[in-house]
Amino acid sequence: MISAYISGGGFLHRLPAGAKLAGLALTSLALLPVSDWRVMGVVLVAVVALYLPLGRAVLPTFKGLRPLLVLAALLLAFHIYLGTAEAGWLAVLRLFAMVLMATLVTLTTRMQDMLDALTPALGPLKVVGLKPQRLALAVTLVIRFTPLLVGLGLVLGEAHLARTGRRGNLRLVAPIAIQALRTADRVAEAIAARGGVDGVPPEARPRGDGPLRRAGPDDEDT
Amino acid sequence: MTKDRSLVHIALYAALIAALGLMPKFDIPIAAGIPVTAQSLGIMLAGIMLGPVRGALAVLLFLFVVALGAPLLAGGRGGLGAFAGPSVGFLVGFPVAAFVCGLVMRATRALPVFPAALAAAIGGGVIVLYAFGISGLALMAGLDLDAAARAVTVFIPGDLIKAVAAAMVAQSIARGLPSALISRT
Amino acid sequence: MRLSRKNLFPIHPEAGSDRASGIVMRDVVLSRGGRRVLKHINLSLTERRIALVGANGSGKSSLVRLINGLLTPDAGSVEVCGQAVTDIGRAMPRLVGFLFQNPDHQIIFPTVAEEIGYGLRQLGVTRREAAARALAVLQENNCSDWAERPVSSLSEGQKQLVCILAVLVMAPRILVLDEHFASLDLATRTSFLARIDALDQQVILISHDLEAVAHYDRAVWLDGGRVVGDGPPAEVLPRYRALALERAGVLTPERL
Repeated sequence: MISAYISGGGFLHRLPAGAKLAGLALTSLALLPVSDWRVMGVVLVAVVALYLPLGRAVLPTFKGLRPLLVLAALLLAFHIYLGTAEAGWLAVLRLFAMVLMATLVTLTTRMQDMLDALTPALGPLKVVGLKPQRLALAVTLVIRFTPLLVGLGLVLGEAHLARTGRRGNLRLVAPIAIQALRTADRVAEAIAARGGVDGVPPEARPRGDGPLRRAGPDDEDT
Repeated sequence: MTKDRSLVHIALYAALIAALGLMPKFDIPIAAGIPVTAQSLGIMLAGIMLGPVRGALAVLLFLFVVALGAPLLAGGRGGLGAFAGPSVGFLVGFPVAAFVCGLVMRATRALPVFPAALAAAIGGGVIVLYAFGISGLALMAGLDLDAAARAVTVFIPGDLIKAVAAAMVAQSIARGLPSALISRT
Repeated sequence: MRLSRKNLFPIHPEAGSDRASGIVMRDVVLSRGGRRVLKHINLSLTERRIALVGANGSGKSSLVRLINGLLTPDAGSVEVCGQAVTDIGRAMPRLVGFLFQNPDHQIIFPTVAEEIGYGLRQLGVTRREAAARALAVLQENNCSDWAERPVSSLSEGQKQLVCILAVLVMAPRILVLDEHFASLDLATRTSFLARIDALDQQVILISHDLEAVAHYDRAVWLDGGRVVGDGPPAEVLPRYRALALERAGVLTPERL
């Protein structure tokens, strides 16, 4: 499963994920009160400049922004039609600045690091049952299941084509879901057999017998 | 329902939402960042099948994985950039839409699956979702609400069709695997 | 101590003995989906290698799921290593490792090393230590270059090996296999069974392959939720085979 991450060694890559997220949040907030489209234009140029160290690998990302370009053009046209051209330019430039800044963070941060950075922020949710261990497992399962479901879609699509001579459509969604849900129960069992979503509680863990070293309070990332 | 099973089902629907966005056949090709694909069908389905809380959690999980950097939004988009764009209103509206779909399913227990699911899909997947989407668009694009609403009206017929499709799919699943209709157990 | 058939039902298994293994089921009754699947099961499973045979739907899968607590009996009690299953609770994976029929239902992580390390992380081991242990396990099994390989690139047999290693790394005392090798070819299956034979753990194997378990210490034959055969495989399996062949002649679609 491909993530959007582009590997590299530059300044942004080495910055910790938490710092990048904080920086993104602060910069986005700082941009909100800006009302001069020319200032926004300068900001946008600065953001694009930050992409340069990433090199050629960024090109697919920029290509992926084409729909946004189309939307921006439509938006601008709409604003001009309504007589608010300057507001239109401001909106469009701000849009691109925000999207490019946020995308930059994604491109330079591994998913695991992002998860580690976001997990403490979700700490307060522990009271309603969102333990970080469960969240990490849930994320892993989504990443694991998604290609399986797409594959299932292809397989069922093939079978459909063979039977009817036509390509599959939304009609395949139900059979995909049914097969997937049958799997879900098996997977839940397999997880339960290896300790469940919460793992094995500390009292039951081995007391240092053999190679399993129990995590102590000073250990990071248990 | 055990917590293991609950978590796996939530993750599975999140993956289904992702898969529906990635499968090319189901795309209704529209340029621009506003999501008009079978993905919103997955959102409605999550709420209809899992109920309000689990359905919303499934969608939130999906959005979280996208935020981490997985290109799971329709068309292979992903990462934080997706939340900075004009469709952020729709993205925020997704979990709420699923929640409302689930609520309507609960409220319409007396009805058979198809009409209940249809009401849920339209209530949550169209009305509530568009309320959020239009507000978000207005905010991000600097338009007033009226203008933003006019901008998206062209997509509404397509989404009504998807609501019908969602109801049909829900009915199929309920027939093929009755235990899957968790919103009603 | 090798238990003979005479003392198969000890009333007081050695309590508090840390290295005790074995499973004791007393008067177990289980229903699933409104149907009685296990009727008054009394078993003391202490032999090292035990085979569980029977027709589909005879209750084998349900029986083994009682051992690691995936299912709870409606009546009766189940004890594992001298403790009641309900008391063991979430510590179960430390005692009983379970292997399912389909590796795709068990494997969660994208790479082999992560998958093997998961069991250790569940036991509280740090990520770094788990990764090191996973690598060590792979090296012991001559597949150290598998560590970063995506699971999707593995063959069926290779995935099964990953599943086995992922469970063994948690060092359980008992290993239960629910038709784990059903989809493998003869050569691969034979190789796996030899590996399993060499393990220290007590092994409980559900299998339709009667030849594979002919050398086991004990065969338990379940039919319609009851134990209808129990003893050395040389005695039990031929009777099971004979009945199965008889039944094949009269199977209607309903009874499939």
